[in-house]
Amino acid sequence: MGRQIVHRLLVSFPALLGVLFLCFCLLQVVPADPAMIIAGPDAKAETVAAIRRDLGLDRPIPIQFAEYIGRVLRGDLGRSIISNKMVSEELALTIGPTAELMLGAMLIAVPCGLALGTLAAVKRGTLTDRFIMAVSVAGVSMPVFFIGLILIQYVGFKWGLLPFTGRTGPVWDGGLPSLILPAVTLGAVLIGPIARLTRTAVLEVLGADFVRTARAKGLRETVVIIHHALRNALIPVVTLIGLQAAFLLGGAVVTETMFSWPGVGRLAVGAIVSSDFPTAQGAIMILAIAFLTINLLVDVLYVYLDPRVQRT
Amino acid sequence: MSVEALASPVVAEERAGRSGVLRRLVRDRIAAAAALVLVLIALAAIFAPIVAPYDPYLTDLTNVMQPPSAEHWFGTDNTGRDILSRVIYGTRNTLMLGLIGVVIGGLLGGVLGILAAYYPRADGWIMRVVDIMLAFPAILIGLAVAAVAGAGLGAVVIALVVATVPDVARVARGAAVGVMGQEFMEAGRAVGVSDRTLIWRYLTLNCISTIFVFLTLRFGQIILIGSALGFLGMGAQPPTAELGMMAAQGRDFLFMAPHIATIPSCAIFVIVLAANLLGDALRDVLDPRLQQ
Repeated sequence: MGRQIVHRLLVSFPALLGVLFLCFCLLQVVPADPAMIIAGPDAKAETVAAIRRDLGLDRPIPIQFAEYIGRVLRGDLGRSIISNKMVSEELALTIGPTAELMLGAMLIAVPCGLALGTLAAVKRGTLTDRFIMAVSVAGVSMPVFFIGLILIQYVGFKWGLLPFTGRTGPVWDGGLPSLILPAVTLGAVLIGPIARLTRTAVLEVLGADFVRTARAKGLRETVVIIHHALRNALIPVVTLIGLQAAFLLGGAVVTETMFSWPGVGRLAVGAIVSSDFPTAQGAIMILAIAFLTINLLVDVLYVYLDPRVQRT
Repeated sequence: MSVEALASPVVAEERAGRSGVLRRLVRDRIAAAAALVLVLIALAAIFAPIVAPYDPYLTDLTNVMQPPSAEHWFGTDNTGRDILSRVIYGTRNTLMLGLIGVVIGGLLGGVLGILAAYYPRADGWIMRVVDIMLAFPAILIGLAVAAVAGAGLGAVVIALVVATVPDVARVARGAAVGVMGQEFMEAGRAVGVSDRTLIWRYLTLNCISTIFVFLTLRFGQIILIGSALGFLGMGAQPPTAELGMMAAQGRDFLFMAPHIATIPSCAIFVIVLAANLLGDALRDVLDPRLQQ
């Protein structure tokens, strides 16, 4: 197991360097020359050149990149052009809400998807099965913001059941109501694919010999389905969740923007719209690293769920 | 056997099946309906200037936020523009983005995947590049490009291409590795067919249906990503009509005139649903192996 994880880490490393390089490039395009800004409008060319030397801006790009990595490792991501706060501080405030939103979405999507997929597999060929599959295809085809718009309009505005702008606080501190609509919006997108794959996987397992054995020794059907069929069907589903991580992240950016959820995605979009390059760079970097981490975690979980992977 | 006869050895069973594809698709009623809807939408998008009842950019401040009516089937938006006309033009832009993303991404990814399968020495390197590309979710690419080069249709196209290339490369490589094991590849090499011909007429022709099916399946996803970027304001800029951006603009008037945001969203939903249904059916008919 350890070897697999080390291998994954090694594969992730060039990807991480790629992410860092892209973020570094983001800082290079800042339209105004930082040395000019520090020197002021009337400064002589020599003064600007001296500041340039002090800041290390005259050095070759690879060295500047190496220095950038050094700064990132020390947690120094620069200052926001707009608010003048440290980017790292802004990020620290937004990571929690984003993690909360994604976890909430998974807590809704995974049980719903597993339940619907298993139900469809057990009732294969019936109207229930067709209905569930039709709903999943529809769900896969829906833009995230469409679901959000409908929820905001009806549940939030017309019926006034739940708040739909901002976050009132952490979940454990009265923040649950404000989390529900964003989490449902983001989770709804994932239910379809999970249900579809669970159905296929459960159908496959239901034909296996050990399921017949379990039935033959008189186990109750629920036990057979949940303990024997579903457990083995989980493996492809976990892989799928890894594959959907990109989708989850993209959906989180849209959901946060819609619900004014104070997360990293909204920070990134806001920073790009207001040309706040240091903040944009930091937010994009954190999101990309989060994506790499999710994939890594999925791989670890995969080994845990399917001990056969270790042997190959 | 002459070299000529070996020029393009499309696997026999596949060739026999091809004439039946259309018939089988038509027999599948859902797929037929999806195909019909897509064709109609595409025609409306291509002939937008003829089909659209109004000028999509013509504002009419005496007629703002009208609900759907006989004159304006989809109502009017906050500046009195006809939403039906804007949806038609918006569909044009949205479809174009998706097509460009899928075609360019498919070409690049296909070439990478096939070359990786043909030249084992390049395989490791190509797939490593593909892995790095996979490390960037499409939305992030869109955000990053928009941050560097400014928001616009170009940023979205780049994001969609980058989102398509790695997956296609993997599928193409998988298919091509399968073909590489076929006897006719060895036969072709034995009679001295050049690398170029082997790659083009032997390998690529036999992988194309798999790649094509995969791209059809991806098309819906690509449209969704493109419209999400539009929604975030990273794509088309006003007054250009693009479905995702239109939904975002309508969001400000959600409580007064919900149709401004919902109608463009519905349009995206219908396009993606039709594309997904057609893709599923095409896969079942053309390439059952792609099924997970």
